[in-house]
Amino acid sequence: MSSALLLQSLILGILLGGLYALLAAGLTLYFGVMRVVMIAHSAFLILAGYLAWFFNVKTGLDPLISLVITVPLFFGIGVAVQRLLMTRLKPATLTMMSVLLTFAIALVIEGMLGFTFTGVQRRIRLDYGASSIQVLGAQVAVVKLVAFGLAALALFALWLVLKKTSFGQALRATIQHKEAAELVGVDTAKVASYGFGLGLATAAVGGTALALDATIYPSLHWHWIGPLFAIIVVGGLGSIPGAAIAAMLLGITQSLLQVPLGTTWAQTVFYIALFVTLIVRPQGFFGGRLAQRF
Amino acid sequence: MIAVRTKSARRTAVALAAVGALLGLAACSDSGGAQDRDTILIGISLPLTGDFSEPGKGVQNGYEIWRDEINANGGLLGKQVELKILDDQSNADRVVADYEALITQDKVDLIFGPFSSRLVLPSARVAEEYDMLFVEPAGAAQPIFEAGYKNLFYAAPAVADDHYNYLYEHLMSLPEADRPKTAAYASMDDPLAMGAANGLKAKLEAAGVETLVDEIYPPNTTDFSGIAAQLASADADLLVGGTQYQDAVNMILAVRQLGYQPRMAAFTTAPTLAEFVEAIGAENVDGIMAPTGYSPATDYEGNANFVKMVQEKNGREPSEDEANAYTVGQVVKAAVEAVGCAEQGECQQKLVDWLHANEVPTIVGTLGWDEAGRPNGAHFIQQYVDGKPEIVLPVDQATAEFLVTKPAW
Repeated sequence: MSSALLLQSLILGILLGGLYALLAAGLTLYFGVMRVVMIAHSAFLILAGYLAWFFNVKTGLDPLISLVITVPLFFGIGVAVQRLLMTRLKPATLTMMSVLLTFAIALVIEGMLGFTFTGVQRRIRLDYGASSIQVLGAQVAVVKLVAFGLAALALFALWLVLKKTSFGQALRATIQHKEAAELVGVDTAKVASYGFGLGLATAAVGGTALALDATIYPSLHWHWIGPLFAIIVVGGLGSIPGAAIAAMLLGITQSLLQVPLGTTWAQTVFYIALFVTLIVRPQGFFGGRLAQRF
Repeated sequence: MIAVRTKSARRTAVALAAVGALLGLAACSDSGGAQDRDTILIGISLPLTGDFSEPGKGVQNGYEIWRDEINANGGLLGKQVELKILDDQSNADRVVADYEALITQDKVDLIFGPFSSRLVLPSARVAEEYDMLFVEPAGAAQPIFEAGYKNLFYAAPAVADDHYNYLYEHLMSLPEADRPKTAAYASMDDPLAMGAANGLKAKLEAAGVETLVDEIYPPNTTDFSGIAAQLASADADLLVGGTQYQDAVNMILAVRQLGYQPRMAAFTTAPTLAEFVEAIGAENVDGIMAPTGYSPATDYEGNANFVKMVQEKNGREPSEDEANAYTVGQVVKAAVEAVGCAEQGECQQKLVDWLHANEVPTIVGTLGWDEAGRPNGAHFIQQYVDGKPEIVLPVDQATAEFLVTKPAW
């Protein structure tokens, strides 16, 4: 692989890693706050992608504008799902049952998408879809930069919420130790529902960013759920910084492996990392104190 | 003790009776098929969703237009034609199940083939097992004709390997300076897409054109960044895409993102679909070539009328898939009318024998087949000129002049 190709892959990997970081941040948030395994997260990503595409087709406006609608909508759906469905699960078997429940939600979303939009593969047609700019000597597509920028912005916003607001502090306290947080006076039930909404809001942003430069179809979420779960396990379940670091690392590795190995084999890097983590250090590598202890 | 045993024995007896009744009902409903029909039922499985949904729907439209025309003109052998079309979701396992169900449960009188070599290959086996005539619109890849099927007929001018023959001959006839010196190939792991690209690759390599990239990717690949990076880095004169539809669109977008400008570009299938221009942008399609088995401009048997019907129904010219589907209808109709029957059983073998011994005039020319079902014609080469698809080869059927250098996309 020539050095130009190497640099190209590296830059693409960083852009990819940034996007993965946003996609994985929401996923790890659900687990951290409520010990819920949210298999439907990637289905919501694809749903957001479809809404962005549909918005673009119907109005002709840039799909990013659809975020004004989808972010609050997904936040509301998240709060509703948590309050109406998750709270009905018995705490003793919560994690296991959440797998079944969210699996069902994912199937429902996939079914509705297929029913509404049919199975034809869709792609947003953007005027700047093929434009690229030179970055450090490598040709980088504008849409990938926009997606990365969006992801970075969303992650920054998430960081601000978590570090600088009292809600964020309550959320982090709930993640760290639910009972202790309750003793200190945090309303963990409300925090959990808002935390869930926050997670789905990141899915809205992530899905829209993804749809800018990807082909979407109803069953695409299965393609994403594996790598995303691998990322959050490697990063440490429940730790957002851990997920972000793991996402960056795995994204760069995947991109570097894509040219010599091809797209299909490069994807195995997620699963190899998952196995290694579970064998060597099950609580994840980058989670620190927030990560779930096994 | 005794009461429990009696109760459970009674329960078992009731269960057995219920099962027996259900089996009896099932057997009864099964036999009510072919004999009571006063229409000719044609069974078809098509990829209406999934990888091949765009061309799959084109084939469906072609079949339906053929059915509407034949029913408006008195039907086939005096009976109205009914099509039963199932969706196999571009999945090879489903297409097999679909044809089995159509033949054994629905007891269809005739079957038409599905779209794409990948789906024709397994379904032709089903047709062979049940001794059904199998005329198909889209199986052009080599493996299909090497499998030893005796009932199969491909309703188009040429098999995959020969799709690019006219292009190869023309490239070799160009002056030295205009001829491509290097080529890059990226194909889907699909018998037709690869077949056409590999046919051209073999001829070009033998003529001294260097192959810089030769990538094969699995079906349903949507991310082309890795392949595009290689293509852009190699910067070959000629880019050949062994593609279907969405992968071609994604590949072109990905290489444009990297600023790769091949001097010539050819893709299978995608450029022959109307949606292609919208997806790529009318200002970016000029110069892109594709082999096509059909042109609306020819005066072959029934073509003018076919173009008119599609114009009335869909407000545009027919696509190649629609034309191939209509051709299947023409071929089967010719055989059925010559032999005088349309049902399962011995009739099917008579139809097969008639087609092996005769030629059929169709909208893509007069077709004749060898014992493996290979047609004896050749594909046109289509190229976008001023945003419109034109036939550029063979020169004597051309509607526009061949663009030697592709404008930037």
